[in-house]
Amino acid sequence: MLISLSWRNIWRNKTRSMIVVAAIAVGLFGGVMAVGILNGWINQRVHDSIYNEIAHVQIHNPEYLLNEETNLYINNTNEILAVTDTMKDVKGVSARIRLFCMAQSDRATTGMVVMGINPTEEEKVSQIYRKIIAGEYVDTTHQIPSIVIGSKAAEVLKLINYRITTEKMDTLLEQKLPEQIVDSVKLLIDKSYRKKSALLKDIKSILSKSNFQKYADRLASVFSEYRLNKSLVLTIQSSNGELHYQLFKVRGIYQTSNSQFDAANAFVDRSVLAKMAGLKPNQVHQVAIICNDMDKAQSVSNELAKLFPTVSVRSWKQTSPEIALYAQFGDFMGLIYVVIILFALAFGIINTMMMSVLERIKELGMLMAIGMNKVKVFIMIMLESVMLSLTGGVVGMGLSAVILAILGHTGIDFSAWSEGFAALGFSSVVYPSIGIIDYIEITVLVVLTGIISSLWPARRALKLNPIEALREE
Amino acid sequence: MAVIEVINVEKTYNESQIKVTALKNINLTIEAGEFTAIVGPSGSGKTTLLNLLGGLDKPTSGRIRVGDVWVDTLKGSKLINFRLHHIGFVFQSYNLIPVLSAGENVELIMQLQGVPAAERRKIAYSLLEKVGLADRYKSKPSQLSGGQQQRVAVARALASKPNFILADEPTANLDGKSAENLLQMMELLNKDDGVTFIFSTHDQRVVNRAHRVVVLEDGVIKES
Repeated sequence: MLISLSWRNIWRNKTRSMIVVAAIAVGLFGGVMAVGILNGWINQRVHDSIYNEIAHVQIHNPEYLLNEETNLYINNTNEILAVTDTMKDVKGVSARIRLFCMAQSDRATTGMVVMGINPTEEEKVSQIYRKIIAGEYVDTTHQIPSIVIGSKAAEVLKLINYRITTEKMDTLLEQKLPEQIVDSVKLLIDKSYRKKSALLKDIKSILSKSNFQKYADRLASVFSEYRLNKSLVLTIQSSNGELHYQLFKVRGIYQTSNSQFDAANAFVDRSVLAKMAGLKPNQVHQVAIICNDMDKAQSVSNELAKLFPTVSVRSWKQTSPEIALYAQFGDFMGLIYVVIILFALAFGIINTMMMSVLERIKELGMLMAIGMNKVKVFIMIMLESVMLSLTGGVVGMGLSAVILAILGHTGIDFSAWSEGFAALGFSSVVYPSIGIIDYIEITVLVVLTGIISSLWPARRALKLNPIEALREE
Repeated sequence: MAVIEVINVEKTYNESQIKVTALKNINLTIEAGEFTAIVGPSGSGKTTLLNLLGGLDKPTSGRIRVGDVWVDTLKGSKLINFRLHHIGFVFQSYNLIPVLSAGENVELIMQLQGVPAAERRKIAYSLLEKVGLADRYKSKPSQLSGGQQQRVAVARALASKPNFILADEPTANLDGKSAENLLQMMELLNKDDGVTFIFSTHDQRVVNRAHRVVVLEDGVIKES
């Protein structure tokens, strides 16, 4: 009956309780959404880092990590691969030659890392093959070998032209750009640009400042045309220290959420790169491993480190501590948001509970007079506070769950800041997500807030003298 | 053995460093089954005496025994527990919990005593039947008249199976007919079930029905 009594006590003053419930619900909705968006970004960043960039486990010659020289390859690749093939927690393994090179197109030159891969092996480890936005993935059948570069590298190497055509207006409409914007850019039809800056200058002259900030990058992206099949000459230092160059054809452009990665990494057939660098087929610089489960990465890493003490075996957390930090502290940061919100809401709950106690002084005096002990009085007030908080919490979290379920599918588009996000390695479209553990943690925090908020009002009630309380009018 | 024995009780208050004596040299014995009215003008010490008998306050000197327990020696949870199991209270302004139904108000005290749900429901129903309100078990206090609310309060007081019921001005907020009905009912409970009632009152109707009248004046019993 104490639970039922507490619940009914909350609704004595419906308006007041509803205001507090609404405040808690809105506050928690904001908190949960913030946690969800943060989680979405972190999950995406961690996922993309692992599946596009670093894999779960990396093996190197330890000296290669100190001085990334061509001849510092792994000496026992075959033994390692023989073991990884039998490990049940290993899903895919890719042996990579990894070299620094100078890449020269017909219009520009840049330094980058070229990865010699076996496309079949690599597809089990990296999702770059799914990120191709123009052309094809590394194909080993062409006479002039293929190279796949990132979109940012293509920009740097000036392998992009910008052409504005009538067909591209349809694409803009398909991408749901406002008709007003499309109509404005129609003025530029049949124009073409070699530089993005020139295109943006023209776009800026026909759009308002806010529309330019919002749509310029998307327009540039639609108008861009990669100059596929153009030649790219890579110059590397071979294992004997001499410089070697090789002509490649740019047959694919990939784009990940990390523009820095896209600017700095190119992929070619491993056998071509091995020949160019004077390496034997089993002489690679990196063995990248993807496990069946992210949680298995450390145990696989430990096992391999024990079996192969002469090589460096690192899990993703060691390879990229900043990504591990994101993963580790993402939830923690989210909870800090929620704690701050609940801390602010606690004052509202205290105020409501205090008013509720002061309005019932005579009744509380009667309860104490007839024999309700102080523990029960305290529990009753605490339950009221917890129930009030939980009601708001459930409404807020329920609302958040529905909205997050929708946004988890549709994503939230922050395209206006896409370049900034890409520079930090984050996608401009975030898919908020929140786990059951987060909901449990938030529920515990809500209950704790309710308990803490009840302390002062409950103390006020416990200090009542039944005789004086019964005299209250 | 008397239900209540009050021996040489004195109660003084210190108000703004002035000593005010509310009760002086009170000696009183109340036997089981009595229907006693404590009367006197305002400030005569009626409520103070009732508070002392109910264990809500402590005498400055003297002893109070309820049954075989010296109430003046009890403290904290023992005192609260004693009130819960031995004393029934009826208040001037009913003091029912507005969010509970009549039946739940009666059940509340038994729940505090730890009576199982099914049993307390049965007892609450029979008590409401006794005060003529069985059909209002589920009614909220706001749906009952003042007289009906006070009847529920009497049922609630009976629910703890107390040694006696202390009723502080029970008819003060009731109209004539309701007060008359309530007194009839209490008298019936006293006669049929032997319930001991102690009233503090100004109401002449209560005094007329009382079997014994204790008159207090300036904190002293003038007539008993």
